[in-house]
Amino acid sequence: MRRPNAILQETQEIITVQDLTSVFESLAMNQIAKIKNKVELSKDFFNLLWSKYSLLRVDPESRLTHRGGKSGDKSVYVVISAEAGLSGDIDLRLIETVLKDYDPKTTDIIVLGSHGAQQLRQRGINFVRYFRVPESENYIDVSPVINSIAPYKNAKVYYEEYVSIGVQDIKTIDLIQTIKTMSESAEEQESVISERDTIFEPSLDEIAEIMETAMMSMAFSQVILESTLAQDASRFNAMSIAKKRASEIVGQYTMEYNRSKRAQSDRQMREVITSLKRKQRMHQHAG
Amino acid sequence: MTDTAAPTLKVTARSPFQLYFDGEAQVVSGINKVGKFDILPGHASFFSVINPDSEVTIGTDKEDTHIKVSNGIVTAKDDEVLLFLDI
Repeated sequence: MRRPNAILQETQEIITVQDLTSVFESLAMNQIAKIKNKVELSKDFFNLLWSKYSLLRVDPESRLTHRGGKSGDKSVYVVISAEAGLSGDIDLRLIETVLKDYDPKTTDIIVLGSHGAQQLRQRGINFVRYFRVPESENYIDVSPVINSIAPYKNAKVYYEEYVSIGVQDIKTIDLIQTIKTMSESAEEQESVISERDTIFEPSLDEIAEIMETAMMSMAFSQVILESTLAQDASRFNAMSIAKKRASEIVGQYTMEYNRSKRAQSDRQMREVITSLKRKQRMHQHAG
Repeated sequence: MTDTAAPTLKVTARSPFQLYFDGEAQVVSGINKVGKFDILPGHASFFSVINPDSEVTIGTDKEDTHIKVSNGIVTAKDDEVLLFLDI
């Protein structure tokens, strides 16, 4: 049996781990509340922007699907993972889902987040570009990613979706299709505006193009936010499990400490009794 | 005697995550590819791209609000001005 002091020291270490997991747990919870609010604001903003874009005399469907083809007929998978570990098993599930669909002959991979990049490298999978996950505090600059997917025929995004605090799913979307779907919920309220009744600076075409890129960036930003939300929820779950396990270990150690203490005291008592008996015997012999 | 309150613009300036301004104003100024622009009440319908890394000023009778923008779009119609910033 281990000595009580050694058990006490280990218990203190586990309590420290338990405290740390509590801190991570509440950090993840705060982050979840903050990001959920951002997702709502961003959707609202997108709808407002779309309502203006849809008034321009342009055909959104043909413009959004008319993309450059420098990468031939190749498609690209954009994989949005976490920037660091401690996010539970969600990145592992994400990479496994990507690899089920992946064919290197027809598809390139662009990865966001060092954790996903590391998982792909471990499996010997090459990716054409790596980006850090853009910061989501105020303004998400996704233009480098949008520029790098522009030459491809199709862009499929793999990301982690927040369903609830306990459930996170792996999802895929086509960016162009997403814009169309998002725009369906936006209401058209006004009549079409044209160069006849409106001043466009610089030009209608340039403005439409900038708005399209902006909307694609926003759709992509929303996916990043959604992924961050799922990663925080997964981190929260991992921390909750770690905290629960730490509590169980502390309980076990406390019990072991009490047993060890009792054993030590029993041993001391036995030693005292043995010593007393020996002295009694010595007295009897002397008498 | 009739009430002759000065006409104003209804201005909303927001980014995806932040509302910068929502209320009545006298003027909205900024810079686009063509040059400096000012939108006053009664302005013709207007649709423009704001220059990257520039500043937009919303002037009211009390104070001016200056907003630094990485990029943006401004629309004006029937004295209603919408500024989509940091897009």
